[in-house]
Amino acid sequence: MIKRSFFALSKPRLTYDLLDTSLQSAEPLAVPGSLTLLLPEKIDSAKKALIGPGDAVKKGQKLKLYDDSTPYVLSPVAGTIKGFDSYSDDFGNKATYIMIKPNPSAKGDEQWAQTNLEQTLEFAVGHLGQIPGALPFSTLANPDYDIRTIVVTGADTDLLCDTCQFVCSAYADQMAAGARILKAMIRADRICITVPENLSVQVDLDGFNILRTSDTYPSNLPAMVMKDHLGKVLSPGTIPENEGVCFIRPEALVSLARIYETGHPVFDKVITLIDKGGKRYRVKATIGTPISKILSCFNVQINERDRVIIGGPMRGLATYTVHHPVVPDMDTIMVQDRDVIAELSDSACVNCGECIRICPANVPVNLLVRYLEANLYEEAADRFDLESCIECGLCSYVCRARIPLYQYIRLGKHELLTLRENA
Amino acid sequence: MTNTKLIVSHAPFWHSGDSLFQQNLNFLIALVPAALFGIFKFGAPALGVLTLATSSAMLWEVIMAIISKQKIAIADMESAVIGLLFGMMVPATMPWWVVITGTFVAVVLGKYVFGGIGGNPFHPTLVGIAILMMSWPAFLDFDTAYVSYQFDFTALAPLAALKSQGTSVLSSFSTYDLLMGNEVGGIGSTFGLGIIIGGIYLILRGYTRWEIVVAFIAGILITATLFYVLHPDTYAPPLFHLFSGYTLLGAFFLAVENSSSPVHRIPMLVYGFLGGFMIILVRNIGIYPDGTILSILLINLINPLIDVIKPKALGKGVSHA
Repeated sequence: MIKRSFFALSKPRLTYDLLDTSLQSAEPLAVPGSLTLLLPEKIDSAKKALIGPGDAVKKGQKLKLYDDSTPYVLSPVAGTIKGFDSYSDDFGNKATYIMIKPNPSAKGDEQWAQTNLEQTLEFAVGHLGQIPGALPFSTLANPDYDIRTIVVTGADTDLLCDTCQFVCSAYADQMAAGARILKAMIRADRICITVPENLSVQVDLDGFNILRTSDTYPSNLPAMVMKDHLGKVLSPGTIPENEGVCFIRPEALVSLARIYETGHPVFDKVITLIDKGGKRYRVKATIGTPISKILSCFNVQINERDRVIIGGPMRGLATYTVHHPVVPDMDTIMVQDRDVIAELSDSACVNCGECIRICPANVPVNLLVRYLEANLYEEAADRFDLESCIECGLCSYVCRARIPLYQYIRLGKHELLTLRENA
Repeated sequence: MTNTKLIVSHAPFWHSGDSLFQQNLNFLIALVPAALFGIFKFGAPALGVLTLATSSAMLWEVIMAIISKQKIAIADMESAVIGLLFGMMVPATMPWWVVITGTFVAVVLGKYVFGGIGGNPFHPTLVGIAILMMSWPAFLDFDTAYVSYQFDFTALAPLAALKSQGTSVLSSFSTYDLLMGNEVGGIGSTFGLGIIIGGIYLILRGYTRWEIVVAFIAGILITATLFYVLHPDTYAPPLFHLFSGYTLLGAFFLAVENSSSPVHRIPMLVYGFLGGFMIILVRNIGIYPDGTILSILLINLINPLIDVIKPKALGKGVSHA
């Protein structure tokens, strides 16, 4: 954890980590005895489910809960469905865990062998929505957006993470091939890639527009890349897609290239594990593998009241169970020891101004938080720039009163959306 | 590992390690040079007043927290800073009951009636001192407070002497004497050098905002220079104003109190400059010898009005297709 320096006349500066070159390759992890798939749809007992416990599934089979549902997952193995469980994320959005017991002797792949592998967006939306790296095909196919520019996040967006840099350097050829396929599929004008300006590893990036990003957090976040490199400042409440820009992971392109190269779906996701001491491990795990398997593979001990974080230290998500599975958009798993977990407080804002000094979006956080605490979300958006926040988390990082500012802001945005939908 | 209970909380998972306790601890550390000097100079009564002021302020905080059913936060030491600053601004001979009344006003009326920490529109210490100044001015009269003391320098409160006797008295106070604490005044407000060192320490540690301090001092120097240049016979020179009375304490410790001062750059500069400007106006034109307390209370009052001058947030007011 980077602490405040003794002399703190200027604002603190957090820097991104460069690619850890001591890890040359990702260690493949065997398919575990039980897989859990996360399907972003909640169980509705009133409807008749298409799948149930005991059903046999084939490798690559598309699993949907109901006839009329759009979300789906592909089974990474041939086996049997053991059961279902419900999952809810930190805003209470419900999803479903599907537990599958792999059957190594079962025949797989039939489903895909019969499928005609087309290089069209319609096919991709229907079959490739869950490839490792999570290429957002449904966003790309959304008629509301006119995506003209693709930005590949070759520079990881959060601190400590280097998975994207690793994928860029280790699978550069496949990434370029994937970019060609995607470009043809969606007829994008240009494909850009962000690269840390100090990266010493040589990577061949022909065909990409290279955007060299600074090593100071949060310059790799989409809103900052848009502002600094694409000359498009996001208006409050808009996302890059509104401006015709879509941010994707390099691994999504690699997966795309491998699928069209082999004709088979791919399910192995590159994950970087960061242990309590900051040491990194690189692993290739099948989607659906519980996090606990990755931890035990490298003998990373989890004690009572530690924290397991999916993502980086600034924008990640703490999971409540080590059984949470590897999902397509998971890049980093970080373990934090109970002794270094910083305490939060419910103290009032003391107006010290640290957040004002560090906020890259000039949001008046000191006033904003008073309105958010009082649940005045619309006023917060109208007068105190709630929607200008780029969600970097720096305000919480420096907060002297230890108010969970970032969470207040995320909650505020969520509540504001709910209010507007119900209006 | 299967049933290990994990801690779940929200991003970010890192913190700079800063806290209110650190902030107030650094304030106390920064106040130590000036406070120690006061104890050496004014003796045991000064120590008594400082400790009584600090402890009674903390006690009032505990009592108020219990009455208002809030979390007892004396461990943050904010009330300790309020109390210590109060003690440093009063003479060493102040009776105990005045000290306790003063800290009561400071903590209860200055801070708690506005909702406790972070809610006070004025610096709590200044509220306490201002009420004493109105109610019992005799106890804040530095000339009578130290009659029983023997000093080897002019035992006159510089600003009061200037007010009553005019500029002829200025020859008895050299800038060096004022800076080294060879003057009578509040326990911790006479040792200019100590206050400056403590104040610069706080700025370097990032616990006070340099813009306010610099603008405040600039306000004093510029305004006092204007008066002095126009009428050198009537008004005191700028450095005399800077090093006498509560001025330095005000610039480095009082005007910068978080909750009652602005946080954006332009408002901070305006706020600080107005504070310095008002001090000189009160001293040169008004009836009070030292305008520091009233002028800082006044700029505290305009803080919410000027702190709305802020840079545009990302994406606001930008027109694009």
